[in-house]
Amino acid sequence: MARYLALRVAQSLFTVFLIVSTVFVLVRLAPGDPAAAVGGPTATTEDLQAIREELGLVGSISQQYWHFITGLVQGDLGLSYSFRQPALDVVLDRLPYTITLAGAAILLTALIAIPLGIFTARRANSGWDVGANIGTIAGQSMPEFWTGIMLLTLLAVVVPIFPASGFTSWSGLVLPAVTIALLQIALISRLVHREMAGNLAAPYVTVARSRGVAERALTWRYAFANSSIPVVTALGTRFAAMLNGVVVVEVVFAWPGIGSLVVRALETRDYPLIQATVLVTSLLAIGVQLLVDLLYPLFDPRVRVGKAVSR
Amino acid sequence: MTTQTQAARSSAVTADRLRSSAAALRRRASRLKIVLGAVLAGVVVVPILLANVLPLPDPLEQDLSQRRLPPLTDGHLFGTDQLGRDLLSRILHGGQVSLTIGVLAVLVSGVVGVIAGAAAGYYGRWVDAVVSRLLEAQMSVPLLLLLLLVVALFGPSITVITLVIAFAQWPEPARLTRAMVLVEREKPYVAAARVLGLRRAAVLVRHVVPNIVNQVVVVMLLLLAQAVLLESALSFLGAGVERPHPTWGRIISDGQGYITTSWWLVTLTGLVIVLLVVGVNLLGDGLRDRVSRSRSAKGEAQ
Repeated sequence: MARYLALRVAQSLFTVFLIVSTVFVLVRLAPGDPAAAVGGPTATTEDLQAIREELGLVGSISQQYWHFITGLVQGDLGLSYSFRQPALDVVLDRLPYTITLAGAAILLTALIAIPLGIFTARRANSGWDVGANIGTIAGQSMPEFWTGIMLLTLLAVVVPIFPASGFTSWSGLVLPAVTIALLQIALISRLVHREMAGNLAAPYVTVARSRGVAERALTWRYAFANSSIPVVTALGTRFAAMLNGVVVVEVVFAWPGIGSLVVRALETRDYPLIQATVLVTSLLAIGVQLLVDLLYPLFDPRVRVGKAVSR
Repeated sequence: MTTQTQAARSSAVTADRLRSSAAALRRRASRLKIVLGAVLAGVVVVPILLANVLPLPDPLEQDLSQRRLPPLTDGHLFGTDQLGRDLLSRILHGGQVSLTIGVLAVLVSGVVGVIAGAAAGYYGRWVDAVVSRLLEAQMSVPLLLLLLLVVALFGPSITVITLVIAFAQWPEPARLTRAMVLVEREKPYVAAARVLGLRRAAVLVRHVVPNIVNQVVVVMLLLLAQAVLLESALSFLGAGVERPHPTWGRIISDGQGYITTSWWLVTLTGLVIVLLVVGVNLLGDGLRDRVSRSRSAKGEAQ
């Protein structure tokens, strides 16, 4: 187990390193002088040179890369231009907001999507099934920025129940979380439905039923227990993806998280901030995925031997 | 108008027979999805394709005296925007941009995905290792951030946006193709073709890939729906095809500020996106049901 864990952590760190390096290369491949973009039209030659030094854009690519990597190891990702403070601090300040929003959204998703998927799977091939199928297709076809604006207009402007933007009180969490959950519920409930329908139709359930096991137990202790791994994996993957920035929803609701920070960093070409965001979010996303993998044994005794899950 | 009555009729038929057998219901459900999907997508796609011949005002023509007219005034079916431009015309021309990018992106990601997936599944060993690691790594990438960064760095041209969306989408056809080729390569006909003296690459290209390709093609429709959503999200966030081209995401992002006084800018544009994407998704889902059923009917494992 310890060996497997060490291997997985090493793999994950390597992936993060690759991602961060890709961003490093991309920024330098781009046409145009980033220093000019940062300095603006009034910058003098000396200004530009100073900015280049600050950006780590002097010297050969390999020297720049070495400078970047040594800084990375020491946790120094440079100063953010627009915030005038260490880029890493800016990102870490915003992080709790994104985690709160993503956590609320995934909780809401699990609470609705799992019962919904089980309900429709137990009524497979009925009108409920077809209706839910078409409903979830519609649910995953709506652009989040549009549902967000619509919810905001209806429930914060026309009928002012919730605050319109930002994070002033906990009720401000409702609309953005619901917007994200609408899409995720559609995706996850389809998965729950597929897994449950497959398990409920499996021979082992039929055998158990013939031996008189109650329907409730068949649903939860038999079929759901066997569906839980793919469902937990999907929820974990979705949560990890959200930590990478629920960009669109954060922008619509002016939520002070990573997502809206990213858009601002890109607009102002704040490279240290972009690199810090990429580093923090990919570390987090990979960490969550690792955690989900390690949680498998809790859900399924068959993987408790300490081997990787191969499905 | 006729198209709407058609949709209503076919759904009514299905509701009538809901109590029949499970297999019949499944068949009818997929037919309902295909018909409904085709109608919804058609309602949006046909006007978009005809946008240049329809008698519509120019999408770029500004008339500041005609600002933010509500729908159905002065011959503006969907009203006008904050610069007095005809909203319907802008939505249809924006749709041309979205559909062009969507179709091209799906073609690119489909070709790349099928080649990579087929090679990984068929040759195994290091080819599979490389492709599988790439697929895994992409799951951990902060994707939207990377896409926004690339568009910001390389400029918002149709080519860049298409490639960026194709990059986001290639894992899906690749994973699907790989899984199907893994099953297919163990079948007797592959060994037979090898015994007959065909080279491995020839077996893959001439026999294995043709046997799986229509299942992948069906998934392409679902990818097209996602591509349209992704394009609109990118342009909503400011990474859309450059002005003055109208794009769906930007019409909505510009209209956001006028939502309380001019509801139609955001609402109608969004409804058009939803209609198109729901239609394409339903069509793709229905066709996928049908293809996988005809395969299992032939006794082939998925």
